[in-house]
Amino acid sequence: MSSQLVRGIFLALISAVIAFPVGHFFVEWAGWTIFCCGLGLQMLFHFRNFARLDQWSKAPVVDSSLEGEGAWDGIFGRLYRHEKDLRAQIASRDDQIARLFAAIQALTDGVVTLDLHNQIVYCNSTAETQLGLVLRTDRGQPIVNLVRQPEFVAYLDTGDFTRPLTLRSERGEDRVLSIYVLPYAGTRRLLQIKDVTQSDRLDSMRRDFVANVSHELRTPLTVLSGFLETLQEYDVEREERTRYLSMMAEQSSRMESIVQDLLTLSSIESAPPPENDPVDMVNLLDKLRRDAEGLSAGRHTIVVETDGQGDLSGSEPELVSAFGNLVANAVRYTPTGGTVRISWKASAKGAEFAVQDTGIGIDAKHIPRLTERFYRVDRGRSRDAGGTGLGLAIVKHSLNRHQAQLEIKSTLGVGSRFAVHFPANRVLGI
Amino acid sequence: MNDSQHLSSQFDDDLSRLRTHVLQMGGLVETQVSAAIEAYETGEIASVKTIVETDRKVNELEKAIDDDCAHIIAKRQPTASDLRLILGISKIVTDLERAGDEAKKIAKSVRRIYENGHLPSQYGVGIRHLADAALVMVRQSLDAFARLDAELANSVIRADSAVDAEFKSIFRQLITHMMEDPRTITTSIEIVTIARAIERIGDHAKNISEQVVFIVEGRDVRHTKEKVQ
Repeated sequence: MSSQLVRGIFLALISAVIAFPVGHFFVEWAGWTIFCCGLGLQMLFHFRNFARLDQWSKAPVVDSSLEGEGAWDGIFGRLYRHEKDLRAQIASRDDQIARLFAAIQALTDGVVTLDLHNQIVYCNSTAETQLGLVLRTDRGQPIVNLVRQPEFVAYLDTGDFTRPLTLRSERGEDRVLSIYVLPYAGTRRLLQIKDVTQSDRLDSMRRDFVANVSHELRTPLTVLSGFLETLQEYDVEREERTRYLSMMAEQSSRMESIVQDLLTLSSIESAPPPENDPVDMVNLLDKLRRDAEGLSAGRHTIVVETDGQGDLSGSEPELVSAFGNLVANAVRYTPTGGTVRISWKASAKGAEFAVQDTGIGIDAKHIPRLTERFYRVDRGRSRDAGGTGLGLAIVKHSLNRHQAQLEIKSTLGVGSRFAVHFPANRVLGI
Repeated sequence: MNDSQHLSSQFDDDLSRLRTHVLQMGGLVETQVSAAIEAYETGEIASVKTIVETDRKVNELEKAIDDDCAHIIAKRQPTASDLRLILGISKIVTDLERAGDEAKKIAKSVRRIYENGHLPSQYGVGIRHLADAALVMVRQSLDAFARLDAELANSVIRADSAVDAEFKSIFRQLITHMMEDPRTITTSIEIVTIARAIERIGDHAKNISEQVVFIVEGRDVRHTKEKVQ
């Protein structure tokens, strides 16, 4: 800086040195003019640089347009670098913020941030679908204007957020949401929304299961104890007594089969993964056909469709029982004269075992729940048909253990198709 | 939200609080309607009592909001869009209150049906479907009001004719039932009452949407054939 001062003084001195002899030896005003011109030139030089700075500062652009001369060059350089650093910093911050928002967007939980007046500041796309918000238009809107359920409004009003709020979402399909309100940055609020539909369903399934087991076991038990009482208190004739006893035997064997199925289910659930023994499908299909014919006793047409290609790897007893169950169901729920078609098709992509019947069919609304324990489409009918209500649950578990998918298609009154899809690594001999 | 700010920010606060109150009332009515339909489906008569009681709260809200509107008009002498907003709101609450009444009516019909020992599901008519359509209309009309979205409001107005048509088909179906088996007449008539109430709820949603169009665009689209472009 001081060198610049020295330089300024030096230039002024030079003009003085030139001006002085001129003023002294010729005319005095000419000398002054030359001196003023010298100073004026210096001023012009500074003004030009100043004008450049002025121009640039109005719209600072980071390119090479800011170049100064002399003393100004250093200043311009530093300004330029400062601006450039600032911009780089802003860009990297923007980048970080964008990544942060992208991370929030990627969350499978819904996130909504609210300001002091419960107005929406930000929400991610999960929250948009969960609550039916549109961030683009709803920013600044009080959240209670859009999520209007009275429970939610009351929950926000109480200010007691120790327990999450469970809310049944009315938008879209029937979802159960669990909403946590977390305070952050002082008095601001963040809503975290979890979709608990699945666990809610599991909870109710568990509750239903216990109730169902008790109910299923109590029914035959009531019959048993009723007959026992009768036999104890009254003198019944021999013939009547035999009839009672056979009914009691029937009920007790029913209880036994329920308990047996429950044990099978729990043993499948806790068992280690199935062994990978080769299962000869030609043999298995033949056995299935014979069993089906036995059960049908000539009332149905049983057809097996296969090219004999491909075998399965897995636990033979489990697969036999699962397939057998599907076939038995088809026979049971198909009226006399119907057809049960068993098919097996294997390729390099995987294999499909299917049982198709021309039976009574299943209403679409029952299909998703069909493999639940004790789920019955028609209570009376399936019990008459001798089911325990656990068959398909066992089938599904055994198939899951073989990484197979059960696909059910059905039309009421036309028939059903139960298809099992095995992944390629379970198929042998292709 | 209105982008324009008033000199008095108190006025802005008043208006936004009023809107929020209207939407709270709307939320209550939505819940009432879906609870009534739920009761119809499940036959849980216990919830009918709650619905009838909650309807009183809806009525109180209507009175309170009307009162607020009168206060704002008297105190602030609103003009232009603010005036339209307040005029619109005072009509919207009337429609909301009526929709709440229809929900109560449904609940009471449900109670009568189940008390007579009938199961409406045996009649196999598309009440659920009709109710879902009407509920979506109510929800969308309130969304349109919250967002001042005239386009959404117009789509609700258009949807009403579908609900009307569905009501008529349910009505015809029930007439057939009644002619086939006169024993079903009592229950069928109750179901007609329910279907009619649901159809009315759709009409109220349409009215609300018409008010939203009025608030946003200043056009009165009631009772006009070419109301929707």
